Amino acid sequence: MRLDIGARTDIGRVRNNNEDSYRLLPDLNLFILSDGMGGEAHGEVASALAVESVAAHCLEAANNFSAPFFGEPKADLSEKTNRLASAVHLANRKIHEAAGSNAAHRGMGATVLAAWLDGQKLSLAHVGDSRAYLLRAGALEQLTVDHSLVAEQLRQGLITPQEAESSKMQSVLTRALGAQEEVEADTDEHLLLEGDTLLLCSDGLTRMVTDPEIASTLLTHLAAQAAADRLVALANEYGGEDNTTVVVLRIGIRPDVWFNRLRRWSRNLGGQLEEESLRGGH
Amino acid sequence: MARLVLKFQESPLKEVPIGSRPLSIGRAPDNDIAIDNLAVSNYHARVYPEAGRLVVEDLNSLNGTFVNELRIERAALRDGDAIVIGKHHIVVDTAHDAALPLDAGRKVSAPKVDETMVLDTKERRQMLEQALAAGERSPLAHTRVRVPLLSVLSGKTDRKEYLLSNKLTVIGKSQMATVRLRGWLAPQVAAQINKRKDGYYLGRADRVPKINGQPIDGPTRLNDGDLIEVGRVRMTFLCHD
Repeated sequence: MRLDIGARTDIGRVRNNNEDSYRLLPDLNLFILSDGMGGEAHGEVASALAVESVAAHCLEAANNFSAPFFGEPKADLSEKTNRLASAVHLANRKIHEAAGSNAAHRGMGATVLAAWLDGQKLSLAHVGDSRAYLLRAGALEQLTVDHSLVAEQLRQGLITPQEAESSKMQSVLTRALGAQEEVEADTDEHLLLEGDTLLLCSDGLTRMVTDPEIASTLLTHLAAQAAADRLVALANEYGGEDNTTVVVLRIGIRPDVWFNRLRRWSRNLGGQLEEESLRGGH
Repeated sequence: MARLVLKFQESPLKEVPIGSRPLSIGRAPDNDIAIDNLAVSNYHARVYPEAGRLVVEDLNSLNGTFVNELRIERAALRDGDAIVIGKHHIVVDTAHDAALPLDAGRKVSAPKVDETMVLDTKERRQMLEQALAAGERSPLAHTRVRVPLLSVLSGKTDRKEYLLSNKLTVIGKSQMATVRLRGWLAPQVAAQINKRKDGYYLGRADRVPKINGQPIDGPTRLNDGDLIEVGRVRMTFLCHD
């Protein structure tokens, strides 16, 4: 699986500091993004702690099968997906502990969104309102569900999509890292296909830029980094009210895979021809 | 280390360590505990850790799974319990463990009732689950699990039946596929089945599969008895209540 990776984070046009963090581990095919909250209470500390804990835990697990597990593994999920959930539980605990032990850090929290690729298999884990999108055959699909009050009201039919967009409650999360001793991580698995684009982003993007605009930007900027740069620029052009972080992953099968398939195919064909000529000879 | 010990007439035949991965028991040779006996179904039962305990689940086997003397569909296991399948016993040995290995990092906290708290539905559900986990094993209070089955009617695959117990089931020739297609023209990843909250959805990969003769247009929910065609492979989706 060949990956074209692009990423960018930006402070925006309004805020004084960037509380978003991201971490890319291309060797592991692991990509993590976090949006910190808490303003003076150091949201950037929380988001850095989130991405670093998830990265460290998955790295440890990749080298040590029996690394400690946090939370309860689910029987229907792959090992990688269960491991991501474990990493999110650990990150929550670390942020919760840090918030409790340091008066300056009280009240800090973070979202987290992690994507781990195992060949074409994608494992996702998230808490909060950072989103994963899949662009396939020109259609953009949101893979994650926001853990926000507005999204929940919308799901229950209590408000309309228009009301949701103009709601003043947009920053109220129903789930976040650090808020409580334990947190439930949403997990999911998908099969990625050649030509797919996976987008991970903080709400700084999705509050400023509509889904159709995100889709057309991804479609018109082929290089992953160019698409990431353009998405952040758009968010800023429309006001840049929050920090914006995007990670763009373009999925393609490596040329050597095609080469091997071709070789196997010609070998099979050769074998069959040989068999036929032998049969013909007798 | 926690382990399962397969015994026949009191003599141990095999030992399998319990990790975080589910262990399968059945007659097919690719089970973790394979029992070559006609009384045993191909994929008979499985054992896995859940909520800090070990659980055994019968996979709709023909002759049933017993824990000690009771027939079960799903039950929590304790040290010394015997899972009885046909004439074989599988004894649970967790005596030398402080806790199940996967619990190393988990903190078990009992629900606090002496504090004023606001319960949302999620917390209430969690408290109920904790109460259940802490309680006695009750074979009558089992939850009936519905794991759908893919049964192959024709075409080249590595098995004749597949249990759809995973969130993502890949159909193809690739190593990661659960439903392994044979034949050198078979695509690496032909199609996929995704388990969602409201059911199982068939989706395309390198091929567009058909349901009851119709090519699918995007992920499509499967119903009991649906005929699935992926290339030359024909399968039925069985999901009985």
